[in-house]
Amino acid sequence: MRHVGGAHRGLDMWLLQRASALYMFVFLVVFLLLFLMAGPMNFETWRGFFVPMAMKVGSLLFVMALLVHAWIGLREIFIDYVHFLVVRLGLYLAFGALYLGCLVWTVDILWSVK
Amino acid sequence: MSIRMNRQRPFFLNLLAIRLPIGGIVSILHRASGAGLSLVTPPLLFAFSLSLRSPEDYATVSGFFSSGLGWLIGLGLLWALLHHFLAGLRHLGFDFGLGEGRERARQTAWLTLGAAVAVIGLIGLMTLKGGAA
Repeated sequence: MRHVGGAHRGLDMWLLQRASALYMFVFLVVFLLLFLMAGPMNFETWRGFFVPMAMKVGSLLFVMALLVHAWIGLREIFIDYVHFLVVRLGLYLAFGALYLGCLVWTVDILWSVK
Repeated sequence: MSIRMNRQRPFFLNLLAIRLPIGGIVSILHRASGAGLSLVTPPLLFAFSLSLRSPEDYATVSGFFSSGLGWLIGLGLLWALLHHFLAGLRHLGFDFGLGEGRERARQTAWLTLGAAVAVIGLIGLMTLKGGAA
């Protein structure tokens, strides 16, 4: 029970945090360029962005990286400020569930664009 | 049940009396911006789903971010993202032993803080008249 709420998986988290950050950066730069090249924005153009399968998959990976990054970051904060193990684990779990839900939701959002 | 820790550690958290060095300010803003962005992700996902649902819902979302409050929220989020990115880049440098000297660390801290504020201020000015682009 001693290690369950602590920082003993630091290296995995450290690496995952940097890998997700890198992917988000690359995706955002590419997306921003596409966005700027598209000219005046309207519903049709915006929706058209997410029609190609490559964009659906790339966007889903982006949201996945974002959620993983956010969860690890919040975990760092909980480790620093939440010292009651049950509360800390509850927060890990609550945000894990919330973010997993967000991930499934994102699949639905993206794949509803036909 | 509390996690075991060294109870002898000094414990001083009077936020009014603590004077953070610039590196500490950039660091706590990195954390605060990250926490804010984490919490705002589900609502943003909701806005994203609306923007793709129908032309009317798209207009609702873009209308919100063009309104005074929405514009401020948008700028705040952009600032959080940019500050978090730049501060993260700075910490990534530390991972590789770059810029760890006291003077250089102070310079990059000021640079991080200033660049994020300056860029967002510029975007704010550029979008001030016609609302969000």
